[in-house]
Amino acid sequence: MTLSIPTQASAPAKKSFRRLVAEYKIVALLLVIAVIWAFFGALTYDHSLGVSEFLTARNFSNLLRQMAITGMLASGMLFIIVAAEIDLSVGSLAGLLGGIAAVLDVWWGWPLYGTIAAVVLIGVAAGLMVGWVVAYVGIPSFIVTLGGQLAFRGAVLGITGGITIAPVHNDLKFIGQGYLPGSIGNVLAVALFVMLALLAFRARAGRVKHKLPVSSMPVEVLKLVITGAVIAGFVVTLNSYQGVPVPVLILLVILGVFTIVGDRTVFGRRIYAVGSNLEATRLSGVNVNLVKMLIWGLMGLMCAFAGLTTTARLAAGTPSAGFGSELDAIASCFIGGASMRGGIGTVIGALVGAMIMASLDNGMSMLGIDTFWQQITKGIILVAAVWLDIVTSGAQR
Amino acid sequence: MAEYLLEMRGITKEFAGVKAISGIDLKVRAGEIVGLCGENGAGKSTLMKVLSAVHPYGSWEGTILWEGKELKAHTIRETEDAGIVIIHQELMMVPHLSVAENIFLGSELTRGFGFVDYEAMNARATALMQQLKMPDINVALPVLAYSGGKQQLIEVAKALNKNAKLLILDEPTSALTTTETETLLELLREFRSRGMSCVYISHKIDEVAAIADTVTVIRDGAHIGTLPMRELDAGKIIAMMVGREMKNLFPREEHKIGDVIFEAKNVTCWDAINSERKVVDDVSFELRAGEIVGVAGLVGAGRTELACKLFGYWSGDHEGKIFLEGKEITVKNPADAVRQGICMVPEDRKRLGIIPLMPVGYNMTMSVLGRFAHYQLINAEDELAVIQAEIIRMKIKTAHPLLPIASLSGGNQQKAVVDKMLLPDPKVLILDEPTHGVDVGAKYEIYKLIFELARQGVAILMISSEMPEILGIADRVLVIGEGKLRGNFPNVDLSQEKVLAAAIGAEEDAAA
Repeated sequence: MTLSIPTQASAPAKKSFRRLVAEYKIVALLLVIAVIWAFFGALTYDHSLGVSEFLTARNFSNLLRQMAITGMLASGMLFIIVAAEIDLSVGSLAGLLGGIAAVLDVWWGWPLYGTIAAVVLIGVAAGLMVGWVVAYVGIPSFIVTLGGQLAFRGAVLGITGGITIAPVHNDLKFIGQGYLPGSIGNVLAVALFVMLALLAFRARAGRVKHKLPVSSMPVEVLKLVITGAVIAGFVVTLNSYQGVPVPVLILLVILGVFTIVGDRTVFGRRIYAVGSNLEATRLSGVNVNLVKMLIWGLMGLMCAFAGLTTTARLAAGTPSAGFGSELDAIASCFIGGASMRGGIGTVIGALVGAMIMASLDNGMSMLGIDTFWQQITKGIILVAAVWLDIVTSGAQR
Repeated sequence: MAEYLLEMRGITKEFAGVKAISGIDLKVRAGEIVGLCGENGAGKSTLMKVLSAVHPYGSWEGTILWEGKELKAHTIRETEDAGIVIIHQELMMVPHLSVAENIFLGSELTRGFGFVDYEAMNARATALMQQLKMPDINVALPVLAYSGGKQQLIEVAKALNKNAKLLILDEPTSALTTTETETLLELLREFRSRGMSCVYISHKIDEVAAIADTVTVIRDGAHIGTLPMRELDAGKIIAMMVGREMKNLFPREEHKIGDVIFEAKNVTCWDAINSERKVVDDVSFELRAGEIVGVAGLVGAGRTELACKLFGYWSGDHEGKIFLEGKEITVKNPADAVRQGICMVPEDRKRLGIIPLMPVGYNMTMSVLGRFAHYQLINAEDELAVIQAEIIRMKIKTAHPLLPIASLSGGNQQKAVVDKMLLPDPKVLILDEPTHGVDVGAKYEIYKLIFELARQGVAILMISSEMPEILGIADRVLVIGEGKLRGNFPNVDLSQEKVLAAAIGAEEDAAA
């Protein structure tokens, strides 16, 4: 949810710049991505072929597939961070759910729909359980999920016996490795654009009716043209390789649904309220404990998706799957502008944050930079991104 | 030797151009206990903050003579070194440190190289405990092992350890039981006989009357009088404390009072931390439809605690029955209360009222968001229409409805918070200090709104520390003192003196 502050004409130049950055935070983040891509693009330029290895459709497709799993976890994590809580257990839970998927698929030979249903149910139940302990028992989420991290990882080792379970069936593999045929990709892209355009004009009409400030018509059209260009560029690029990867499609659907949940639903509004002032929200007659528990239910669902995708992508269940990915998810949210104190953050921001992390990983691997340098760089980027956000917004977070 | 140990002359302190205290004198002789009395917000705390250099020299006007010489302290450390030690209403203890460590906090005895000399500290602390007649306290145990009353005395030990010549006690007995209060007063008498001086600030006039040699009364930041206690009694002190003219700032409107719709029976609440102490003690009352009931009492009397209990928000132990429209209801949490038609506007707007990062409009609809939703999906059109209608009704001044609430003035924030609790259409509305920190114009609008709600048949329970406000608005006044219901008066020819006397617990006839 974005709480845009209208720019006042009398505001001093520095302040209005801050406002601009705050309002178009997502633009600033996209600029960061552009810089990173330009950087890696230049470094991987191959003179004999006249192209840079980093900026190919194939690598773009890889990059998106790499960030898909972190992105799923970051989407769930975003709401937890907005509610001023934290979850350190998602990597282990995703690993556990991936392990369960492998056991059901390989050892027990369950059909795909059965595997998915079971994993989703277990994921949501585990999430709700963690949420219940946090919200109703009142143990701080840091502690509960630190415990969960250990316990879930232990459970993975227990059910897999510490060995890799392979090979999974092809239909499960499709979730992690498949591509949409180009024609379907095109149809979805057009449908998405038409829907966004309709929504934009409906929202505008509503604001005009209630005499709220609106941006001028040309700006509105320009925004839509840019949106259309981004969607077209996205699909055309991916289709020129093998099509839209299935995990990326899942992630985009999650992005859409979660954005609506955050912006337009009672539940979403309450998440932001809980994060901004828990006690005032409670005194407004909101059942804040239930809100918190349900946030973890959503997180559990995201862990199920991430776990299934991990197992499908590796075509195997491994005891170490998802190790450390909670930290990537948390870092993505903060890079994407979420506030440590709660109440601020967007799903799209978190995904752009995940994209920045994935671009760094991908680019540095391509350059053959040692893993330790990659980790050091990512750590510095995280701190620098939050620092930039503080100096530009002038707010503590 | 000067006649007075301390002489404060013509102390004036302004906050942002508003005089909090103006030309106050306070004199203390060696070996004398001075009682300092005044209503909530009269300026007692400000005066003590000037004395203890919380407000450093130069930020106020006037002179302070200490042992005959002018005192120009800039830090609390300087005043403490001189021998002025203040014990605040809220205890300043680190609960997990030992008694001895707390007593020496900030001035630890060392063996050099920063190593703490525990033996010396514990020995000295034990000696202090002997002096305070509490030999059974183990100074090596953490402070949290002892009750609030013992902690208060440990706080006194801390002051003694600083070689205090003048001890300032700000509402020292607000968390103490009767026996603990007796012990403290006895100790103060003993200190007096040894030549120590004391400024005793308390709402409990009977305590002041029992212990003070001289009483200074301040009201609305001005010095009203200083008299020896033998020329005074509780009634005279109260008359000096109140003595204010009622101005007609209240838009009293006729409204019909209907049948009883709300009843609270035998409500008792215990403190969340000190679970032995009752903060609300067996309070019963009823509210009628369209009736405005004011709740008077001094700060800390248990009014907010009572309101929280009725709204399902009290975190300590509690008991008592609540009836709404003749049926007993259970209120486990605020959500329960709102659903059943009981709403509360909390006292602390910043901490409990506003959701700062959200637009003013979304703050208002937070209580009734479900109304605009179809299967969770909020209809933004419907919501905005209601928000705009409410902004006009409540006369909230905002550039547009989706501006963050934190950017509005206090009065406009308060109107939004009140509106949030009106939207659920309450049958009973509890207002806890609804005009606190609100400018005069917004106050007037809130009063008008209260009368409009009463005309619609809402029962209103308004807690206020501003006596004129209660007497200007209420149909009936409940007086709470030390957790007990001490008065239930129809607001007919009711005087501030009578209410205050009941709040303090003085005898009826003492009120002049």
